[in-house]
Amino acid sequence: MKTPVSYFGVFFVLAIGLAGNAFGQASYLAGIPRNEVLICENPEGRITNPAWFNIWVVNHGGLSTGLQQLGMDTLWYIDADAGIDGVWDNSLASEKPAYNSDFTQMTVKLRPGIYWSDGVEFTADDVVYTVETQMKNPSTVWGAAFLASVDSVTAPDKNTVVFKLKRPNSRFHAIFTVRWNAAWVMPKHIFEKQPDPTKFDFNPPVTLGPYTLKSFDPNGGWYIWQRRDDWQRTTLARFGEPGPKYVAYIDPGPPDKRVILQLNHELDIIHDTTPEGVFTLAKQSPSTHFWFKGFPYAHPDPTLPAVLLNNQVEMFKNRDVRWALALLIDMKAVSLASYRGAATISAIGVPPTGLYPKYYFDPLEDWLKNFEIDTGKSKYKPYDPTVAQQIANSLRPSMGGQIPKDPKEIATAFGRGWWKPNPEVAAELLERAGFKKSGNQWMKPDGTPFSITLLVEGEPRPTMTRAGTMIAQEWRQFGIDAKTQAYPSGFFPRVESGDYEAAIAWSVETWGGHPDLSFFLDSWHSEFLKPPGERQPPRNRQRWSNPELDKIIEQIRAIGFDDPKGVELGQEYIKLAVKEMPQIPLMSYNVFTCMDTTYWTGYPSAETDPYTDPVPNWANTKYMMVKLKPTGK
Amino acid sequence: MSAYAWYLIRRFGQFVLVVFVGINVVFFVTHATPIDPVEQAISSVTQFGQTDPRAVEIMRKALRELYGLNGTIWEQYATFWKRLAAGDFGPSLSAFPTPVSVLIRQALPWTTGLLTTSTLIAWGVGNFLGGLAGYYRKSRLLKAAGIAATGLQPIPSYIMSLVMLILFGYIWPILPISGGFQMNVSPGLSTSFVWGVVWHSILPVLSLVLITIGAWFIGMRSLVSNIVSEDYVVYAELAGVDRRRILTSYVMRNALAPQLTGLALSLGTIFNGAIITEFVFGYPGLGTLLVRGVNSGDYSLVLGIASISIVAVATAVFAIDLLYPLLDPRVKVE
Repeated sequence: MKTPVSYFGVFFVLAIGLAGNAFGQASYLAGIPRNEVLICENPEGRITNPAWFNIWVVNHGGLSTGLQQLGMDTLWYIDADAGIDGVWDNSLASEKPAYNSDFTQMTVKLRPGIYWSDGVEFTADDVVYTVETQMKNPSTVWGAAFLASVDSVTAPDKNTVVFKLKRPNSRFHAIFTVRWNAAWVMPKHIFEKQPDPTKFDFNPPVTLGPYTLKSFDPNGGWYIWQRRDDWQRTTLARFGEPGPKYVAYIDPGPPDKRVILQLNHELDIIHDTTPEGVFTLAKQSPSTHFWFKGFPYAHPDPTLPAVLLNNQVEMFKNRDVRWALALLIDMKAVSLASYRGAATISAIGVPPTGLYPKYYFDPLEDWLKNFEIDTGKSKYKPYDPTVAQQIANSLRPSMGGQIPKDPKEIATAFGRGWWKPNPEVAAELLERAGFKKSGNQWMKPDGTPFSITLLVEGEPRPTMTRAGTMIAQEWRQFGIDAKTQAYPSGFFPRVESGDYEAAIAWSVETWGGHPDLSFFLDSWHSEFLKPPGERQPPRNRQRWSNPELDKIIEQIRAIGFDDPKGVELGQEYIKLAVKEMPQIPLMSYNVFTCMDTTYWTGYPSAETDPYTDPVPNWANTKYMMVKLKPTGK
Repeated sequence: MSAYAWYLIRRFGQFVLVVFVGINVVFFVTHATPIDPVEQAISSVTQFGQTDPRAVEIMRKALRELYGLNGTIWEQYATFWKRLAAGDFGPSLSAFPTPVSVLIRQALPWTTGLLTTSTLIAWGVGNFLGGLAGYYRKSRLLKAAGIAATGLQPIPSYIMSLVMLILFGYIWPILPISGGFQMNVSPGLSTSFVWGVVWHSILPVLSLVLITIGAWFIGMRSLVSNIVSEDYVVYAELAGVDRRRILTSYVMRNALAPQLTGLALSLGTIFNGAIITEFVFGYPGLGTLLVRGVNSGDYSLVLGIASISIVAVATAVFAIDLLYPLLDPRVKVE
């Protein structure tokens, strides 16, 4: 009985080994030389509806399959970082938007000589069709937004579009301006032949971008795009020829597998992985390149995770309570717990990313140092400008030379100051708000225990969940009955329903490269605030209203997008948010993008060439294509 | 009417009742979930892009109407059964307007292929070796196999998948660790596609086989150990019947009946998918589809997959109940 079983086992292993060596690496991508293809992670995973490319329909197929990154185009792009030729790029438009004096009309001049991938010329009719078709179908992605703003849209000539608006709107162009995405232009000549454009799969997609779809997995695991032969007739051609002939967007699976695939040089760009995965790559993969050459490696996205406090919950209506909770958080511990120290912290209501240090952090540093809280019993200056420095110092013994020493580099990588934890001042603030301590437990003014349920997303967002766990623990140590509740599915809809007390989430997202704050701030106006029990539209998820804030927003609405006064008004908002603390800002949303330089070089870098956000699901990824060059391997 | 015919009618009635109750339970459970597909859709649209708060309400109304969620739950219940009677689960809400049946049809062959193959291999090899181990109790090799089976059985599937991944994807990277077939190959009856499917399935199948083979091995060894002491086996040995014949015709054949029941039940559950294995190996299938349906509040998709699974399990049990009296004369219908 021994012999056949033993022989079978040996034969099985040998057969797999031989076949693997013969077939394994070469079989990864059929018919395409490895050095001609850039392989990127699609963070959406396997696409449920793989054969749908009609990006204008809600819940169509994937967005980050390369479709919006390589196939779509729109009027303008704003980069989250420095930009390939400045932050603002006129893409399909040849100029910036031109508004009339009261912002009720916007005129757009289009770039001539741009063609769809099927050879048809792009014209103003495509833009008009895009708007009118979606207005007729308010269930489409931008249909409701157009319907809410646009009175009429016309094309006086083939290179001009005129929008007449229902009300003054100095930021109407934002709908056609890419931050992460924007309203993409539809090919009129394709869609007008469809009886119902919302039931058309748009397969294969006709593109305005520099690539066309070559092949895709009918089960949604991968999409391969090929550089257009006529790439010179696309808007990206202004910056040169895209380097990769092919680009593949794949579902590589869980974080550990992404790291293995990159170690095997089978995945050029990891969209995001765990801090631990990044540390492994930093140690074991000399060919891996990160946004920061050393710690914290990650790209800080222009999004501001924070402790959202539901300002409609009775206990959080009092500013003293909100500030007391902020003074109980030790940011060093939160940074280490969440990102293992690889966080870029922020004490103020904008993320410390892109060009915002120049616009907001540097000018407000002195104001923050002098900012004072008066508890009625004592006065306290809560800002500690050395917190990021302290985080860097605490990591230096274990991470050695990867931790920068230059204070400017530390500020860019780790952020600047944060609030000094001070339980005594927090206690004074709570007492002024009518709270009392009974034994080891703080009680609310009504005599019930001061308890907080901190909502976290759980498994889908481990870094933020770990931050929430640490914060709840710090509050508990002070005598607040705080606990976290994980809510992995439907997290943001629940936060927007108002069915929460506190949450680790975000309601601040900015352009990153451009200082205008209306992207998130306009929706914080009290005219949009819903009463408790009703669903709050994005993004005032903390349900905060303030007459001073309304005035700031109204002043921003009254000036142009590039008006320098916008920065002053933005600073006024930040000061107000510091005084009121409607949410407790924590850090930027750091994305651990890892780029393999085995086959491609020219990736963006914080230190040497921050020309775009490297995170490959942003639509700005198209700019990376012209900077990437083959290494010759 | 014969006793067997009455038995068949009774069992069919039970089958219909199980399917009806099961599908109803799934309908009401999915509709009781706090996850609203419209809010999930709005969240996905507004999470990254610039959003005018005035537009959100317009979009909410439009989507609710489009998805057919404006009626009461009883109206939706009636519509569901009308559609189901025509073999239609309606459009998926998370992949609107693609019909649920299309999504299931795309994923089903991968799940059935992966799980049928791994279940049959584990069942066949596990029972064969378990039978041998129960009969040739002194064999060192089979004792070692018994230890291995006992050791493998309690390992969770995600651990086994990760071990396989690291062993054959990193330390000795000879097998593909991602996807169902090579990239840039069109599915069809081409050699490259078929070979790619086989090649890409080795690790997922191996992971599933290794964690399930132990149970079959141990079960069969224990059954055979009991049978070898039965009078008819002892008598056959005393009568000088060839040992191989005793093993195959007298021992294993009699031990197979309960194992066949187990096999039928295992095959019935393959429509649930292998969520962890699919996730770890990036393998297409119903498990991933089901998780996405649950997370996005896609009632139609969850109902579609769950209904198929309920029918499959009930059918497997029904078939075994019908075949049992025919296969094993010791089982009476009354």
